[in-house]
Amino acid sequence: MEDLVLELKKKIIEVLNLEEVKPEDINENAPLFGEGLGLDSIDALELIVLMEKDYGIKLANAAAGRDVFKSVKTMADYITANRTK
Amino acid sequence: MAYIQSIKQISIQEPLSENWFSNPIVPQAIFNEGIDPDFKQFLSPSITRRMGKLFKRAIVTSAQAMVGFPLDKLDAIITGTGLGCIENTEHFLISMLDNDEECLHPTDFMQSTHNTISSQIALYLKCNGYNNTYSHRGTSFDSALYDAFIQMKLGMISSALVGGHDEMTLKYHSMLCKSGYFKEGMIPGICSLSTLITKDKSDTSLCRISAFNMLYHPSDELLQDCVKNMLSEAGVDSFDAVVTGISGDKENDEVYKKNFDTLYNGRPVLHYKHIFGECFSSSSFGWYVAANCLSQGAMPEHLIYKGQPNVPKAILIHNHFQDKDHSLALLVC
Amino acid sequence: MERILVTGMGIITSMGAGKAQTMLSLRKEVAAIGKNTLLKTVHNDLPVGEVPFDDDSLKSMLDCELPKAITRTTLLGRVAVKEAIEQSGLDNIRPKRIAFISGTTVGGMEKSEQYYRDFLENDRHSEYIALHDCGACTDMIAAQYPLGFDMVTTISTACSSAANAIILGANLIKAGVVDAALVGGSECLTKFHLNGFNSLMILDKCKCRPFDRDRQGLNLGEGAGYIVIESESSLRARGVKPICELSGYGNACDAYHQTASSPDGQGAYLAMMEALKSASLKPSDIDYINAHGTGTPNNDMSEGHAVMRVFGNNIPPISSTKSFTGHTTSASGGVESVISILAIVNSFIPANLGFSNRIEDLDFSPVMHSEEGVSLRHVLTNSFGFGGNDSSCIFSKI
Repeated sequence: MEDLVLELKKKIIEVLNLEEVKPEDINENAPLFGEGLGLDSIDALELIVLMEKDYGIKLANAAAGRDVFKSVKTMADYITANRTK
Repeated sequence: MAYIQSIKQISIQEPLSENWFSNPIVPQAIFNEGIDPDFKQFLSPSITRRMGKLFKRAIVTSAQAMVGFPLDKLDAIITGTGLGCIENTEHFLISMLDNDEECLHPTDFMQSTHNTISSQIALYLKCNGYNNTYSHRGTSFDSALYDAFIQMKLGMISSALVGGHDEMTLKYHSMLCKSGYFKEGMIPGICSLSTLITKDKSDTSLCRISAFNMLYHPSDELLQDCVKNMLSEAGVDSFDAVVTGISGDKENDEVYKKNFDTLYNGRPVLHYKHIFGECFSSSSFGWYVAANCLSQGAMPEHLIYKGQPNVPKAILIHNHFQDKDHSLALLVC
Repeated sequence: MERILVTGMGIITSMGAGKAQTMLSLRKEVAAIGKNTLLKTVHNDLPVGEVPFDDDSLKSMLDCELPKAITRTTLLGRVAVKEAIEQSGLDNIRPKRIAFISGTTVGGMEKSEQYYRDFLENDRHSEYIALHDCGACTDMIAAQYPLGFDMVTTISTACSSAANAIILGANLIKAGVVDAALVGGSECLTKFHLNGFNSLMILDKCKCRPFDRDRQGLNLGEGAGYIVIESESSLRARGVKPICELSGYGNACDAYHQTASSPDGQGAYLAMMEALKSASLKPSDIDYINAHGTGTPNNDMSEGHAVMRVFGNNIPPISSTKSFTGHTTSASGGVESVISILAIVNSFIPANLGFSNRIEDLDFSPVMHSEEGVSLRHVLTNSFGFGGNDSSCIFSKI
């Protein structure tokens, strides 16, 4: 799980081009959207693409992402439970 | 009538600088990347993380052109771009083809629509005013500026931030060589130019746009009449020089050359594509060159294609695309 | 200042070609949205508003010599332009000076996406490279008018392109630069923007439901819509009759987000208010609103709030005809202007299909069934593009 959390942090930084952010700066339990990293709706869509591309998980719509993307930890948990890649 | 307040550029010359006027970089006739400023000096990474190069250039030149002008007084943002953010368009398209329409990045698609530059500038400057984007090949910038000019004539707006923004990718460049847009001897370029235009003169105005026309498939007679009317509209007898889009493309250049002694009245002929390069928005550099010659009261030798330098008081700008779309403008001190 | 009068119109959408067919379809109250047959895509589960004619059929409708290399957006544009020219008699008597302003975003992308690998790797189909950009498309549509234009340009502001073309045309006439303008837009379906909208997750897998509580997104459509506008003196000089007046228009920028509209619809509100002001009209003068109404959760909420801000407690009948045609993107301002004018001429309010339940936050419901015999003095049509390019036009009965 720890490996996946670190992997996710690196991928989030890369996919969302968070240039000045390092993996150790991201608290795995902190909110990704709104506060915390302050990501927005477009970032959510990019994370949906990441889920499908790298983990084979297809989210039906943007709303489905809301709970999954609450934090890096919730993402990791969801991926562990549902990944096909 | 309108006034050019400021012009800022990023191109294949030194960015955000007028050093090209006295000491231009001599570009090669190959695919040219632009010369960018250090964007971090102007924009924070949190703002630029989704922005490709063209966006960053457009925001920076826009912000710089607006320096000293109150943001809440800006009435319009109008942009010309021939290809939009072609880099993002290409990413999305190639990804779509390679991955059979799966797992595509929305950011690339968002940036690919041509109007995204103009609306991103509005977002950055928090401007709710008139916003439009023209994408008409070699007269994209001219169309954008013409829209501003007409609205000022109608009293609808008092100020406008007008831009010409185009980038190029290696792949698209190779395609444009195939299609005949880029020919041997031409210098491919990129363009991000922003100019603040106002209805009223100020102490810092660079020059006045006294007359401006856009024509489609005009005859020689129509061009002559047009220039005659423009001079009369401006209340001047003649112009001191003509800025043309001579580019090294024989067919393109012939349209200008045949006018040397007729439409241009034997006046000195200037060119700019040999230092700024060619792209769909590069006509904006014609305006930039003219405005600088007028405000600095000089015509550097390296800009002169034919004739002798003088101290210009009025400059005619002539731009055309494939002898179909023409624009003529008269700028005076 | 001279009045701007409409003297001709042309339209082609998934409902069919021409004004008469459009009225027939609107009266049938059946959405012309369904499975793609011409567009080749893996996303066969996304309903679209496809024009029911392939390129060869479009060419035969034009019945004139055409370049061998031609794009679908161009063909659609030429069909609509042909109808507008014929109705306005532009082919009989040319106005003294006339402009052509066309809106498009995809341009020749429908061919580029087919031939991109060839463009890069070999010399096959390279004649289509020069047809990729928006300006090339406009140039080829302009060739439909043999008497020629005095000025041509292309606007590309996504879903408000055609509306902005109408606005520029009107400004050029008011400024005395031209006497008439043929203005509107054209857009064909492409895999590129179908996939683009899909990646933004704003497409509905069912037929769209504008202003409905349970709406899920939009359906893409294709088509072209153009109108001929001219000054009163030009109209008199040419001896043609006006159809209606373009009495006002407005353009504003939401400046909120790259793709989403602001919750309070600020850009939309400003555009509508400016249109009313330029027409010297009060909100209560508007008898029908042809909404942008894409069916996305975001647009309909945002536009809905803007409409409430403008019209207060007196919201006129409102409907989105995208429920018939799908979202024709860059053409929508032209297509929906033609529909708005047909509404005035026919004393008819088109229905908003797909509606069952009101959006909780909004005070109004759209018109569920079309209405006949309704005298419409002034009609407002909205076109709101990605990035907050918001435009509104008002057409008025003569």
